[in-house]
Amino acid sequence: MTTPPSSVPLPKHELYEAPDERGITVNGWRITSTTRPISNGPQSDALQADLGLTLPEMIFGNNRLTIEHQATGWKYSFTARDALAAVKNGELEDGDGGVKVGYADAWLKSRQSNSALMPQTVQAKPYDWTYTTTYPGHIDPDSTFTPTWESVEGTTHELPLAELTRPDPILFYAEIPLFEDELHDNGSSALLIRIRIMPTCIFILARFTLRVDNVLFRNFDTRIYHSFASNPPMIIRESNGFEAPYEVLKARLPKQQDLTPLTDPNFVSRCLTETRKYSQTEGAHTGWRGLGTRRDCATLAP
Amino acid sequence: MGSDLDRQIEMLKACKPLPEADVKTLCMKAREILIEEGNVQCIDAPVTICGDIHGQFWDMLELFKTAGDCPQTSYLFMGDFVDRGYFSVETFLLLLAMKVRWPDRVCLIRGNHESRQITQVYGFYDECTRKYGSPTVWRYCTDVFDYLSLGAIIDGRVFCVHGGLSPALPSLDMIRGLERRVEVPHEGPMCDLLWSDPDEINGWGLSPRGAGFLFGAEPTKAFLHNNSLDLISRAHQLAMEGYKLMFERMIVTVWSAPNYCYRCGNVAAVLELDEHLGQEYKVFEHAPMDVRSIPARRPPAEYFL
Repeated sequence: MTTPPSSVPLPKHELYEAPDERGITVNGWRITSTTRPISNGPQSDALQADLGLTLPEMIFGNNRLTIEHQATGWKYSFTARDALAAVKNGELEDGDGGVKVGYADAWLKSRQSNSALMPQTVQAKPYDWTYTTTYPGHIDPDSTFTPTWESVEGTTHELPLAELTRPDPILFYAEIPLFEDELHDNGSSALLIRIRIMPTCIFILARFTLRVDNVLFRNFDTRIYHSFASNPPMIIRESNGFEAPYEVLKARLPKQQDLTPLTDPNFVSRCLTETRKYSQTEGAHTGWRGLGTRRDCATLAP
Repeated sequence: MGSDLDRQIEMLKACKPLPEADVKTLCMKAREILIEEGNVQCIDAPVTICGDIHGQFWDMLELFKTAGDCPQTSYLFMGDFVDRGYFSVETFLLLLAMKVRWPDRVCLIRGNHESRQITQVYGFYDECTRKYGSPTVWRYCTDVFDYLSLGAIIDGRVFCVHGGLSPALPSLDMIRGLERRVEVPHEGPMCDLLWSDPDEINGWGLSPRGAGFLFGAEPTKAFLHNNSLDLISRAHQLAMEGYKLMFERMIVTVWSAPNYCYRCGNVAAVLELDEHLGQEYKVFEHAPMDVRSIPARRPPAEYFL
């Protein structure tokens, strides 16, 4: 792809880089992304004890993204710990969108029909094994400013697509995985944070993706946008929840026998967005409360 | 035939896929050997036990560097050779060629990824069609999968299996009695062996996913006792330190895919059992990034929306 020359002037900025940490300072903002290997045994055990939740297989407990507005001291972060703290722990209830694996009924029936195959079992601790989270990031404990989020509707403060699709030079880019789990080969659950600092704005996408084979797809996207031109400085935070039955997306495959695109988050996200009339309302009929769109704004001024 | 095989092994060790006709011959020979093996293969120590590989070919070469070349070192692989990594074809064919070349020095048991259904989702099917232009090689390989053993027993004392125990299979003899030459079923005893997990619970538990068993220390102890065993060795779950002992060392998870999925940064391990069944865990790291064509550590900047 050739990028047409951009006419946007570049703001003064400073990049820095350490082995596990990279960052940028630009227009009174300081952005830091930390990416390290997955948590080791003792770290995971400690986190598991802390959250009381059976953890995903891959926990990037040392990863984080932090953006800091230097004028107000507002600090906003994304971490695995806080994302997982938002996962339902305990018996699933209405609105949690709980599901079972595709062959659960057949599996249980085959066991019940033959008592030799069904021992006395203890109840394993209930929790949302899909790790569904609507975590939008969190305000950092040492933030010195707490803005008020205001819900907006319709076209008010929509994300400026024209600006975001314009191929201006990317000043800083990072991908920060927070957790991933393959659901015991029944699908995949993952939370990935991406950020790009453009000459005119900050743009973050936190995307939770879930695939349960032969059952459903579920996405929860949180986008954070800040225009450097906004005065007073404003943050827009938009979240979108989607769901679709597995069969619906499978029917959209280019080749029916090759299921690989279903493991490609971009393919899945495109399908879910294209069918948003259904995927954000009916979804996969799980009653999950995360469906739909919500937009909040906050002003960064004391 | 020996020299043909040696040539193929050399090719595969350079990560070059074999011509389709060679794959067909290799798979046929492998089937002839595997069909003679029991559901539970009997193996003599010393032997090196390996967990999941998942198509991480260059990391498997690091494994061989760590634990020694075959046939000097005798190997037992506990399944999940394919999927997720970028070189499932070369990985599985190299292991298969080694099996055919040194049948008594290589033992391959089946993992839950050695299945037609799973490989269509997790990459092996896609890789075969991409590298060979058709699913033929995938068909040859998945036909071999049906012949793989379900477990192995070392000197009568160490039981090796991909996943874990089944409540329907309290004895080794019952495992020996299963009809294994089928696609991995979604339920039943054979499914349990390839899918179940040990967990800190009392007795047996049902997975919160709605299917699959969890087994605690008691069933593990009972199985060891009833079958006069010392240890259960299994794979199937990522262990950040390469291996994880549980239930007062009655069971161990061995994980042999370092930097899993090319991004976890974990180390891997193999379990070496000496002639007295003494355990030594050898930890190894992933292959240097420059020797293989995998995505760079830092993803390229993208105009995501």
